Amino acid sequence: MDELDILKKDWNKANTDYKKLSVKDIYPLLQKKSSSIVKTLFYISIAELMFWILINSIPYFYSDEYRQKLEIIYSNEYVLTGITFLTYGIILLFIYLLYNSYKSISVTDNAKNLMKSIIKTRNIIKCYVIYNLVIAGVSLIFGFYHALNNDPNIASQIENFSSKELAIAYAIMIICTVIFILIVYLFYKIIYGFLLKRLNKNYNELEKLEV
Amino acid sequence: MNKELEHSFVELLEKHQNIVHKVCRLYTNNYDAHNDLFQEITIQLWKAYPKFRGDSKFSTWMYRVGLNTAITLYRKSKRTINTQDFEGVEFKIKSEDYDDTEEQQLKILYKAVHELNDIEKALVFLYLEDKDYREISETLGISEVNARVKMNRVKTKLKTILNP
Repeated sequence: MDELDILKKDWNKANTDYKKLSVKDIYPLLQKKSSSIVKTLFYISIAELMFWILINSIPYFYSDEYRQKLEIIYSNEYVLTGITFLTYGIILLFIYLLYNSYKSISVTDNAKNLMKSIIKTRNIIKCYVIYNLVIAGVSLIFGFYHALNNDPNIASQIENFSSKELAIAYAIMIICTVIFILIVYLFYKIIYGFLLKRLNKNYNELEKLEV
Repeated sequence: MNKELEHSFVELLEKHQNIVHKVCRLYTNNYDAHNDLFQEITIQLWKAYPKFRGDSKFSTWMYRVGLNTAITLYRKSKRTINTQDFEGVEFKIKSEDYDDTEEQQLKILYKAVHELNDIEKALVFLYLEDKDYREISETLGISEVNARVKMNRVKTKLKTILNP
């Protein structure tokens, strides 16, 4: 008889170490809120969507100066309208993908498929974050470049720069952008790493079995 | 959700609660964590219940939701203590002491099972519940052959833990 068979003998009779709940005890449990990782992931994705929508929208609606600058940059209003449509179109696409992905998560699926659908959802959020980081990076570099060339105050200051100093200014600008993006990226890595560490470990364990 | 549905669910859960308790017993090691996991499994069962069509037995359906919650969905609470802190008999006993009293042997066995990883615990759980390899493979999403292979590895691992 191996170890598990010894355990099996005890397994079905060992019911005394926990409290047997009555119907009355169970009813209140149904009203409690879930604290599952899917729910946390859902809140994070809503927060992500809201955060980036606000980051993109607030300066435009609350700062006349910012709006004027944008309108000068995109002197052709069709370009600005096109970009706005594209931006919100992409956000809507992500909302649609996330909705579908959440709907596919089912606790009655087998363990591997359940993990797979959660990882897929997390990847959609990851893509959304990467998309926003790329846009933020490009906007920052473009903004810096535009300021260097068109802002009268900055232009008068860099007028006397040698080509070497100008190259340093550009390098600093790029390094600042990369550092900003890296910090935000690491922040996400830590959040998701912490939340999905156990899930990833278990998924890899199941994957390993099939190799 | 209507009252009738709620009532039928609560009655079924009350009748089959042992399954949930057993999952909690395997994946937690203190009273508070046990209750936390029990609560989360209950919520997941209740959320999924309207889609339960009765094609499978309620208990079979519970195994899947219970294990999925324990392995995948449950975020361990701060109150969950590490398995290393498990209160039990001295773990590294000499092998000649192994054939001691039955009670002590069981304590050691339970402690050894607690040392396994989440997937290995799921295999052990389904094995202890007398599930065949087809059901084990369907619940975990692996092939039947791999379920057997892994089960044998788990048995060997347990032997090694018990007889270092």
